[in-house]
Amino acid sequence: MRDRILQALERSRADYTDIRVQRIWRTVVAYEGRELDTLSTSTEVGGIVRCLVGGGWGIAVFNSLDSLPDRVQDAERIARLVAAEVHEPIHLAPVAPVQDEVLVSLERDPRYVPLQEKQALAERYNKILLDSSDKIVTTQTFYGDTFSEVWFVNSEGTSIYEQRPDLQLLFSPTAREGDNVQSPYESTGAAAGFDAALNHEALAEKAARRAVELLQARPVKGGVYTVILDPVLTGVFIHEAFGHLCEADFLSKNPQMREILHLGRVFGPPELNVLDDGYIAGSRGNYKYDDEGTLRRQVYLVRGGVLEGFLHNRETAGRMGMAPTGNARAISYRFEPIVRMRNTYVGQGTVPFAEMIRDLSYGIYACGAIGGNTELEQFTFSADHAFEIVDGQVGAMLRDVVLAGNIFETLRNVEAIGNDMRILNSAGGCGKGGQNGLPVTDGGPHLRIRGVTVGGRA
Amino acid sequence: MKGHLSTQELLQKLPTQVEAGEVYEVHIQQTPAQFTSGVLESIKSVETAGRALRVIRQGRLGFATTSDLDDSNVVIQSALGSAEFGGPAPFSLPAPQPPSGVQYYDPAVEQLTEREMIAMGKEAIAALQAVNPTVQISVGIHKTITDVHVRNTSGLAVESRRTQLSIDVDIQRTQEGDILFIGGSRSSRQRADIAFGPLVQYIIERLQQVDRPAQATPGTMPVVFDRGALATLFLPLILGLHGRYVLQGASPLGDKLGQAVLSPNFDLIDDARLDYAPTAAPYDDEGVPTSRKALIAGGVVQQFLYDLRTAGQAGTQSTGNGFRGGLMGGSWNTPPDIVPGTWIVPPGSQSLAQILQGLDEALLVESILGLGQGNMMAGEFSNNVALGFLVHRGEIVGRVKNTMIAGNIYELLKDRLIAIAAEPRQVFGLLHVPALALDGVGVAC
Repeated sequence: MRDRILQALERSRADYTDIRVQRIWRTVVAYEGRELDTLSTSTEVGGIVRCLVGGGWGIAVFNSLDSLPDRVQDAERIARLVAAEVHEPIHLAPVAPVQDEVLVSLERDPRYVPLQEKQALAERYNKILLDSSDKIVTTQTFYGDTFSEVWFVNSEGTSIYEQRPDLQLLFSPTAREGDNVQSPYESTGAAAGFDAALNHEALAEKAARRAVELLQARPVKGGVYTVILDPVLTGVFIHEAFGHLCEADFLSKNPQMREILHLGRVFGPPELNVLDDGYIAGSRGNYKYDDEGTLRRQVYLVRGGVLEGFLHNRETAGRMGMAPTGNARAISYRFEPIVRMRNTYVGQGTVPFAEMIRDLSYGIYACGAIGGNTELEQFTFSADHAFEIVDGQVGAMLRDVVLAGNIFETLRNVEAIGNDMRILNSAGGCGKGGQNGLPVTDGGPHLRIRGVTVGGRA
Repeated sequence: MKGHLSTQELLQKLPTQVEAGEVYEVHIQQTPAQFTSGVLESIKSVETAGRALRVIRQGRLGFATTSDLDDSNVVIQSALGSAEFGGPAPFSLPAPQPPSGVQYYDPAVEQLTEREMIAMGKEAIAALQAVNPTVQISVGIHKTITDVHVRNTSGLAVESRRTQLSIDVDIQRTQEGDILFIGGSRSSRQRADIAFGPLVQYIIERLQQVDRPAQATPGTMPVVFDRGALATLFLPLILGLHGRYVLQGASPLGDKLGQAVLSPNFDLIDDARLDYAPTAAPYDDEGVPTSRKALIAGGVVQQFLYDLRTAGQAGTQSTGNGFRGGLMGGSWNTPPDIVPGTWIVPPGSQSLAQILQGLDEALLVESILGLGQGNMMAGEFSNNVALGFLVHRGEIVGRVKNTMIAGNIYELLKDRLIAIAAEPRQVFGLLHVPALALDGVGVAC
């Protein structure tokens, strides 16, 4: 494969060319209620060529490897067309050429695990959900494994082969009483082999219990509250609130954004650290090289409450005179790499949870995450469930807790950072620029934040 | 068995114990052009293809996909392997039927050149820069040609070539303490429907209204959902009218067929044969002709959406809504799932401006954040207002920020529907709807 790709690469006369070819094996087992909804296996091979000419990108995507030489020529032709329109040439920040093979050793490679075993595992988890209560009317149980081989070569002499495993498990029971329907979920994931999908019975039980509990929960009353985020929601919060803002493709071409996001600007209290890391053992945001062949490294986005760094690909780093950080990622061969997060988290603090809630006369303890969304300044993130805190005690369960924040205010309003940092692997992913479901992780300790707007019926 | 097999040959290779087989094959050519910060950044040429094989063997369903059209053996063996443990298949594959009469191909889209796409984008950027030279402008132009083949062992063999042209334009205005986005998009299978002019005009108008801040009063108030914000109300309805969730007993509408559940003034039509709409197709991806049908008429539930499998389970007919790449995305490599056509709400008699003039104080919501994050199955929504205005008797008081709206769509569309505006337009390529005014929406700020 490598030789075939290198031969095609040699045909390009562009200033810079890279080719990434990916082979993907995927199995999905999905139960919906008592029905086995999906049992599918797929294999996919495809690739992408990027040519840079005078600051313009020409990109070609293909499935047929036979067409690779033609696709290189097409990418170069398009790049010349784009170059005619570009005012400002692109200088890719330098990355030393590398030749490497990154092989993973898995506790049972999912490609060789019989389909029946995967189906039986999903069925067992699904049964836990179904049998837990007669209030459970249906379920969604999802098992997905993916094994990818990625070949990356560029015209600077880099040649990398990397294996990337990915595993997802999701349990979502639906409990119903009349028109009251509750579908919470629990999920996990790993950059690991099949065995990592075993022994999650407790997680399934937890999801089922909560579906029933949520039937009794009160909808939250909309308003502005002091909230405590659990480590799961802290992760989604920091991903939405700050991670995306630090993706340099949002600012490298935007002088006003660069003014606002100048390094050294204070965004939070002195105890606040925010990091993005290319490797945390077993985590879904892992890989050794990004999709431009840049070696991973850890980046402090915020250190001591002060903006310290951005996430870069080679183009944004070149434009801003900084070093690439290994954050150029693509969800598959169909897409060019763009600046993405990996494993993003709030660093460890010092405040125990009990102390965090002790002096709170009324607040909301928001737990688990459905998701989040940002437009850079305003952002939103939603809790799977929540509890009210009354006079320093965790009280009754609340539902429909969706929180809003503003980048200029919310991080400054962080009042306490817990001493219980955790990084969470979920089955979910991140979406940006039409590339959805990118494996990332996030996390942190419990956080206490004042003045958070929570939506709800009055 | 290396070597290319046609879809027909592939079906012939299936072992005789297989009761039914279906091949879905798609070839996609895409050309997206992306302008960032007012300058052309990249053009991409995509040529992809894939094949999905579905088999029924001893009443069980098997499914496998591949992008390698030359390797028939693996996909056949994978599908048969999956059928050994697969779920039940209480349906048969359809015999040939005439296509629904709909326009879905425009040679003018296919003929659109890269240079013409560049010129379109530059013109839109120049129009915006003439009004405001400092905002950051992003423009996307996306041309797609899709060839879909469906063939099955009941003798069905259909193919169609569909075109699509999509555009989007966004501006970002960045100031200390305020990062503003305004944008819009359009999509059609016909080139003549696609122009940047109205999108640019909308942005220019809104840019003049965003500088004055306003503060809503927490509590409940009338909220006018302009078209760009309406997905927040319709996503829960998609789940509610989705045959699978009806079957599972999760949909709150499941047991209410023929009952009045929403306002008598509210009608909703599902139409996958609206000429040149992005959802327009002669057949769905299972070879069933697409259809137009009332889902809700006068507030009464008329019909749920089904594909072959869920229709078989429910003991009814497919509504021609079985498409690959369901609500959660995916494409040829996912099994058919229920996907709505274009959702149409017939317009009312009052203009949006007249509706606003009739309200003492209302929130006009243009776009929202956090789509799909609440308990959608129950009809709950709770969203941050991305772009919204406080309006007094039709006069814009100012822009609201850090404001959440929340409610339950089943309650609001039943008892709190104030008015349906007269100006429908396409939203996200999926809805064709006018603005809706609802009273009693929760507002937190």
